[in-house]
Amino acid sequence: MIEWLIDNWLKITIPVVAFLATYVVGLWLKRIVNNAFERWASRTRWEGSQLVMTTLRRPFLFWFLLLGVSIAIQVSVLPPEAKSITIKAMGSLFVLSLGWLAVTLCEQLLKIYLLRLKAPGPTITLARNVTRIVIIIVGVLIILEIWGMPTSPLLVLIAVAVLAAALALRNAAPNLFAGFQVSATQQIKVGDYIKLETGEEGYVTEISWNNTRIKALDESIVIVPNNRLLQHTVINYGHPLKKAKEPFRFYSRTHLTELTGLKAKNLTELVDILKKAPEAVIYYHTHRFLEEHHYLTPEPSNDFAVWVSDALGEEVLGERLVSVNTFEFPSLGALRDRLVGIIEEHLSKGSNAREAMAGREFYFMKSVSVVLPTTYTVHDLREFIETLRKISLGSLYFHVFESRLRLGRGLNDFTIWLRDSLGEEELGEEIARLDPYTYTLEGLRSTLIQLIEKRIK
Amino acid sequence: MGRSTIEELRLLAARLSGKVIQNINSTFIGGGVAEILSRMVPLLEQLGVDARWNIIKGNTEFFQVTKKFHNALHGRKENITAGDFALFKETSKQNTKETELYGDIIFVHDPQPIALVSRKKEIGKKWIWRCHIDVSQPNQDVWNFLEPFVVQYDAAVFSAPSFSRQLPMRQFLISPSIDPLSDKNKELPQETIDSVLAKYRIPKDKPIITQVSRFDYLKDPVGVIQAFEMVRKSIDCRLVFAGGTASDDPESDKVLAEVKERAGNNPDIHILLIPPGSDIEINALQRASTVIVQKSHREGFGLTVTEALWKAKPVVASAVGGIPLQVKNKFTGLLSYGIEGTAYDIRQLLTNTEYARWLGENGREHARYNFLITRHLKDYLLLFLALDHPEDIIHL
Repeated sequence: MIEWLIDNWLKITIPVVAFLATYVVGLWLKRIVNNAFERWASRTRWEGSQLVMTTLRRPFLFWFLLLGVSIAIQVSVLPPEAKSITIKAMGSLFVLSLGWLAVTLCEQLLKIYLLRLKAPGPTITLARNVTRIVIIIVGVLIILEIWGMPTSPLLVLIAVAVLAAALALRNAAPNLFAGFQVSATQQIKVGDYIKLETGEEGYVTEISWNNTRIKALDESIVIVPNNRLLQHTVINYGHPLKKAKEPFRFYSRTHLTELTGLKAKNLTELVDILKKAPEAVIYYHTHRFLEEHHYLTPEPSNDFAVWVSDALGEEVLGERLVSVNTFEFPSLGALRDRLVGIIEEHLSKGSNAREAMAGREFYFMKSVSVVLPTTYTVHDLREFIETLRKISLGSLYFHVFESRLRLGRGLNDFTIWLRDSLGEEELGEEIARLDPYTYTLEGLRSTLIQLIEKRIK
Repeated sequence: MGRSTIEELRLLAARLSGKVIQNINSTFIGGGVAEILSRMVPLLEQLGVDARWNIIKGNTEFFQVTKKFHNALHGRKENITAGDFALFKETSKQNTKETELYGDIIFVHDPQPIALVSRKKEIGKKWIWRCHIDVSQPNQDVWNFLEPFVVQYDAAVFSAPSFSRQLPMRQFLISPSIDPLSDKNKELPQETIDSVLAKYRIPKDKPIITQVSRFDYLKDPVGVIQAFEMVRKSIDCRLVFAGGTASDDPESDKVLAEVKERAGNNPDIHILLIPPGSDIEINALQRASTVIVQKSHREGFGLTVTEALWKAKPVVASAVGGIPLQVKNKFTGLLSYGIEGTAYDIRQLLTNTEYARWLGENGREHARYNFLITRHLKDYLLLFLALDHPEDIIHL
C-alpha cells in the first residue's frame, strides 16, 4: 500500500490539490460575493434583496464542492467512462440544487408580490404550485438531456397535458384573471357589502381564484364567478358597520276585520258605544282609511270624522274629529278619551237630532291582527336598509304603526332597536319624530331609507 | 303581487296543515259564489291547504224557493208560503242526510245549504256560514226562519258591515275578489275588443255606458234604461246592458223580456244576453265602455263594480251592499241613490273626461290593494285560523 502511494503520489495529490484549491477559491469568492450582495442590498430598497441574498448564500459552497469534485475527477487518472458518469452526476446534482434554489426564490418572491396585491390565499397557492411544477419540469428535462436520454416523449406528454389543462380552464381563465384584477385594484375586498346589477347582494366572505362568495342577508351563500364582477355593474357599499347588540327581527302583520254587530244612528249612540268598545275597535276605525288607501292619501282621516260629516252632515264636528292627530297619542285609551271628549262637548252644546238614514249607520268593527315572523333578521344599518327595501308594507306598517300604538310600546320598533341595540340614539330620535300618518306607506319607506342612508354616509 | 305576499300566504297556509276545508254551496256553475270558489279552491290547494268543494242537491221547486229567499233577504217583497218553508226544510233534511260532511272546517255558502249545520251536534267540527247576500234589511219572516240555523255556526262572514247584526257568534267582514288573470279581467288587445263590439253590432261612434249584471229586478235594469234616457237628452251616447243567467235563478227570463220591452226599438240601447262562460266578451264590453254603471237596488258585494274598477273605468253605482266599500264617493267613483242621481253622475263623467280618468285610476289602485284574489285568499286563511284564536292580536 505504502509502495503504491509512493509510486502514485502525484496521481493522488493533483486531484486532491485541485479539489482543495477549488474549495478555497469558493470560500474566497463567497466572501467577495457576499460583500458585493450586502453592498447592493444596502443600496437598493427592494424588499426581495435580503431574500435573494439569503437564498443564494446557502448553496454557494455546495456548488464549489461539486465543481471541486468535477475538476478533481477530470485531472485524475480514472477511466474516461468513470469520469463521464461522475461529471453527469455532478451536473445533475447542480441542476437539482439550482432547481431547489429557483423554487425557493420564486415562491418567496411570489408570496411578497401577491400579498402586496392582496391576492386571495387560494390564488397564491395556485401560483406557487404552477411555478413549482414548471421549474421541476425544466429541471427534469435538463437532467434527462445531461444523461443523454430522449426528452421528446416527455415534451409531447407535457404539451398534451398543457393543452388539456388549457381546454379545461378555458372558462376559468377569465375568472382567474378577473380575480387578479379585482384583488389588484382593491375595488372589492373581503367584508365589503356589494350588490350586483343582476340583483345578488351581500357581504363578500371570500375571493378565490375563480369565484367570489357572497353571504346574503338571508344567510344564503351566493357564488359569483369573478369575471361577472368585472362585466357587470357592482355597487360596493364598503365595510360592515357597527353590529347591534341584539339583531332586529322583522315581523309582518296582516289583519281580519271582525264585525261587532253594533251600530249607531246618531251621536249619542256613537259616543255610548265608543266609550265601551274594545280598543281593537278604536284602532280599526282610526287606521282603516290608512290601510285601505295608503297608496293615495297621505293624511287619512278616521272613520268617525267621515261618518259624522257624510252621514249626519255635522261638518263642524267632523272637522274637529278629523283634526285629531293620532300620532300625538301614546295609547289607544288616550285616543278614545279625546274622541269621546270632542263628541260629548259637541253634544253638550246642542242637539242630537240628526240621524243617519237607514243603511248609513255607523257600524262598529274591530281589527284582528295576525303577527307573522319573517325570514329577515338584521344586525347593522346596511342590512337594515337593504331589508327595508324588501319587506312587505304589512311589515313596515306593523313596526311603525301597530307596535307603537296597539302593542303599547310608545315608540316605533325601529327607534327602539336603533337606540337600545345599536346605540344610534340620534337616528332613532329622528325616525321617532317622523309623523308616519302624513306619508303614504311607500313614501314612509323611502323616507326611512333616505334617513338611514344619510347616516351611513 | 310581491314575493313577501306569497311568503305570507304560505306561512298562513302552513298553519292549516292537516285540516280539511269543505266548501258547500248550491251550484258549480253560474253566479258569483261558484265563480269565486272555482278559483279559490285550486289556489288554496296550491298553497297546501286541503280545500274541497261539494254542492247540495235540489229540484227546480227548491231553487225557486231559495230564489224567493234570496230576494226576500235582499228586502224585496215576496209571497213566501208555508209550503215554501216546508219544501226548503224537506230538501234540506234530505241534503243533510245525504251530504258527506268530512271537513274539519265546514264552510257553507249562502242560504241554500244553511240547514246542514243541523248535524253540528252530531259530528262537531268548526262551521262557518258565508253570506254573500245583502241582509241589511231582510224580510223578517225569512230571516226568522233562517236565524235558528245561523246561530248554530261558529262564525258568520258578510260582505259588508251593514249586513251584520247582533248574533251570538263571531262575525267577520270579508270582501269577495276578482282574479286579475282570469279571462274576465285580463288585459285584452284592441282587436279582441273591436271584434266583440262588431259581433254584438255595437258601433264605436259614441260614448258607451254599460251595466253588466244578471237580468234580475234587484239590479234595476229598467232604472238603468231610464237613467240612460235622461242622459241621452243632452249627450249622444249608447247603453249596453249585458247580462247572463244562473242555474239557480229561474226568474231571469221574465226580467229579460221586460227589459227588452222597455228598451223598445231604440238603436242606442243594446240588450245583450251573454251565455255563461263568455268572460272574454264581458271583459271586452267593459273595456270598451266609457262609463260603467251598477244601479242595483240590493247588492251582495257587486263584483261587476270591482271588475270595472280594475279596468280603470269610472263607475257610477248605487250605495248599496258592498258597493260603498269599493266606491268611495268622488274618490274611486260616484255613488248615487236614485235614477236622477245616476243620470246626473253619468253626465258629469261624460263631460269631464279628466275627472273620469282620475276616478278610474284611483279605482284601479283601490281594487289592486283591496279586492284582488290574493287578499281574499289571505282573508280566508286568516278566518280559518281565527276560529282557534279568540284574541284580537294573534301571534303566529
